[in-house]
Amino acid sequence: MNNYFLKIFLLNFSIFQLASSSFSQQNEKIWFDGLGRSYFSRDNVLSNKDTISPKSMSSGYNLLDLNVHVNPIPNIEVFGQVRVQNQFGGFFGSGTEIDVRQLTARGTLKNKVRFSVGDIFLKQNKYTLHNYDEDLNFYGSDLYNSYKSIIDYENFYQDNRWRLQGLQVDFSYKFDRFIRTLEVDLFTTRPRGSSQLNSALNTFQSDMLLSGGTIYSQISKSISAELNYTILNELPNSGTQLSSVKNPVYQFGLIHQYSAKKFSINSKIQTGLSEKSWSHKVGYDSISHNRLGMFFEYKSEISKLDSSFNLSMGYRYVDPNFRSSAAQSRRIDMAESNLNSIYTIYSNDAVVRPISIFDIISDQNIFNQNISPTLMNFNPIFSNALPYGDATPNRVGLFLDGFYKHKKKYFNINFNTSFFSEVIGQGTSRKRTFLTFAQLTKVNLNELFNQRKEFNFSLGYRNQITNREGDSIERINLNSTHIDFKIEKELLEKVYFNFSTKRIKGIGNEYLVSRDDFDEILTFQQVNYNRIDYLHALGIKYQFKRDVYIDVQYNLWGSEFNIANFNDFDFQRLLFIFSIKL
Amino acid sequence: MMLIFVACTKDEYEGPSLQNLYGEFSLLSPFSISNLNPDFSNNEMVKFHCEFNKSVDWKITIRGLQTGSVKEITGFSNRIDSGLVSWNGNTSEVPFFSEETCALELSFLTELDTLRDTLTILGKKVYEGIMVADFENGIPPDALVFHQFSMNMTFETASDDPLNGNSYFKMGGRMGWNEWFLGSIDFPLDMSAVNSSADEFYINLGVLSGINGEVASDQFINILISESNHPFNDDLTNNASDVFQDTMEVYKYQIRPVDWIGWNMISVSYDQFEVKSSGGNNIRQPNNITAIKLQCQSCPGVSANCPENMSVDVRTDVDFLIFTEGTGVLNQ
Repeated sequence: MNNYFLKIFLLNFSIFQLASSSFSQQNEKIWFDGLGRSYFSRDNVLSNKDTISPKSMSSGYNLLDLNVHVNPIPNIEVFGQVRVQNQFGGFFGSGTEIDVRQLTARGTLKNKVRFSVGDIFLKQNKYTLHNYDEDLNFYGSDLYNSYKSIIDYENFYQDNRWRLQGLQVDFSYKFDRFIRTLEVDLFTTRPRGSSQLNSALNTFQSDMLLSGGTIYSQISKSISAELNYTILNELPNSGTQLSSVKNPVYQFGLIHQYSAKKFSINSKIQTGLSEKSWSHKVGYDSISHNRLGMFFEYKSEISKLDSSFNLSMGYRYVDPNFRSSAAQSRRIDMAESNLNSIYTIYSNDAVVRPISIFDIISDQNIFNQNISPTLMNFNPIFSNALPYGDATPNRVGLFLDGFYKHKKKYFNINFNTSFFSEVIGQGTSRKRTFLTFAQLTKVNLNELFNQRKEFNFSLGYRNQITNREGDSIERINLNSTHIDFKIEKELLEKVYFNFSTKRIKGIGNEYLVSRDDFDEILTFQQVNYNRIDYLHALGIKYQFKRDVYIDVQYNLWGSEFNIANFNDFDFQRLLFIFSIKL
Repeated sequence: MMLIFVACTKDEYEGPSLQNLYGEFSLLSPFSISNLNPDFSNNEMVKFHCEFNKSVDWKITIRGLQTGSVKEITGFSNRIDSGLVSWNGNTSEVPFFSEETCALELSFLTELDTLRDTLTILGKKVYEGIMVADFENGIPPDALVFHQFSMNMTFETASDDPLNGNSYFKMGGRMGWNEWFLGSIDFPLDMSAVNSSADEFYINLGVLSGINGEVASDQFINILISESNHPFNDDLTNNASDVFQDTMEVYKYQIRPVDWIGWNMISVSYDQFEVKSSGGNNIRQPNNITAIKLQCQSCPGVSANCPENMSVDVRTDVDFLIFTEGTGVLNQ
């Protein structure tokens, strides 16, 4: 009932704001922006082996996100985002939802201290607070840009930041001796509020808080230092849970910068500590499941000042017990309970369809917006070397990456390679090794042939080999190959034709790790792969301007499992997206 | 470069051993038994030893070929250590072992292999405790028996199917009117020498149920323990003790339902007894116990409470009523 009144109030409030906008905009105290989107998809089963699932299904919606920015006084801004969404098939408003998506107040106190209250987007160091890209993200390539922009927008993914609710303040000082600058950023947030789990049993989930801070100092022209700290903790008294987690993480880094006439060299050395402990109301003593871990990284990069070339290399050690919930939470939990939106159940065996390459590219609902206090599941075919990003525990190794952009924009190349080993084995003292090589090349044919209209193709390739020596039980050999290809041609002014194909093949064997509620390994599940995932897309896109477009696509996608206990599946989709950034 | 890798890695592993989970099972040493003719009455022990190539869930089962008594010892390891794994002649399930030949079996939860042997018990285990009643010499002379006068009432000793020794006490029958209570037997006690607290003091009772494979619905035994200093048999006319009145310090435990066929050993620590009548300090003190009462009760068949009981006799026979300290009798 409260929600109902709240929605009516907000709708009236929005209408009132619209009515008064002309006056307000003149005074520059209220202004609007937002996003509108129409989305329609129709999916079909192609496989003849599935006679139970509906042959085709369609879904879609219209939505309008209206952003209201109010500046009641100079240096203060209140921002609210109201969403009106109507599912296709809704009748007389029955499928219409009105929600407040975001509310933030931000400003500056006495021109010295900046603050934000409400929905804030936070990122720190890669080991303390970082929202790593999802699996299969190829240098942020635009191969499936329409899907990607929707997923990022709907899940509040902005520049590897986590969207959290709380308070953030930052301020800085300049000095004339000893150090040059000192910048301080502090925050406290509540990623999860206390909520009732079971009304009959009167059980409640505890509040979870994430707090931290960054201190950055430019010590001299070439040397700077940073200190990051985060702490995730559950408040035991705010719920009835028997165990509550606490996870402080500390990071310290020194950065050296050297600039010459045409290039610069940056070097960074950083290290950190983490502790993860659980306080128990019953059953365990205070040091049960306590973990202390550390990491160390050295990285050096050389860049041309015109940004045409970059090469970086480094060494990284992450302890098996290093735990940083805010840096190790994945965007996609590969647990079986994370269900796809399209054909969740498939085949005549009526089994849950595993997450495929298409779902990772297109399904906004499988993505996670929360900080997980325990390590989430991953699929070794999609990512085995660094499933939790740079902060992946139990890794030691070397990495090299870089890019080159041709002066005349004929082509650009991104590449990376790495070799990591486990620090300690899993289930055996023998260790896995991970060798990864990836590259993405984009060739601008229009520049090459001196044409005005866009004409380019991209080719991406990634190969990841996981190995473990040993006897027949210990031995692991998993080879995962990922190929991306896209060609795009501007047929008419702002009308783009594109064709893209993506294919992943994983072949070999691995052991999946099953963990308990305290991150301890319970058991290993032996798996054999001979799986191919594919996605072909053919489309026409009319780009009115950068953020206003109509995209019509045909997708053909599926998975072949071969030796696993899954039935193959093949689907096709017709997609229409009309997106307007206001 | 290799030095960096080697220096930073460790020769340990996290999680369970893959060898344990997926390795092929094999015996590294035979299943050996230290004593094939144990005399448990002389506190002799039987020790076991075996080694495997991986940790497994193993189980040693000892089955008395005459009594049918069963003792099970379980563990998860790659070694059955004779220093840790032994048998003192006790049982996991009554009846108790007697002087008899026993079949031994070593089996594994996830493996097909089973190793077998036999041993012969020369002397059976003597259980330590304060024996209240074993009925070997009939009903104890100072015990009081009361029962209703209805159909097939059997409040007497018998020797056709004892749990231990040659005799046991039958409590059963069939009520011909709407009455739950069939009868009882009361024993006077002197526990003043006991030092254990209530949670360390166990009341152990063998209970036999089932006639021709059937049990009466909702038949049960009330165990009442009195800490009253009132004279045990103040009223000589009622064939029941007088220390379980509502005004006295009495504690109660129900074995309910008694729904099994055959013998079952019930062990209950005294702290699990509830206050029946708070005529005292409501603190269960074993050294203050002055009497125990075993009541046979059942849902009456008359008046349609349990009409199915009209054709079944109640049977809650008892034997081997013994108090133990520190642990239940089967864990000795």
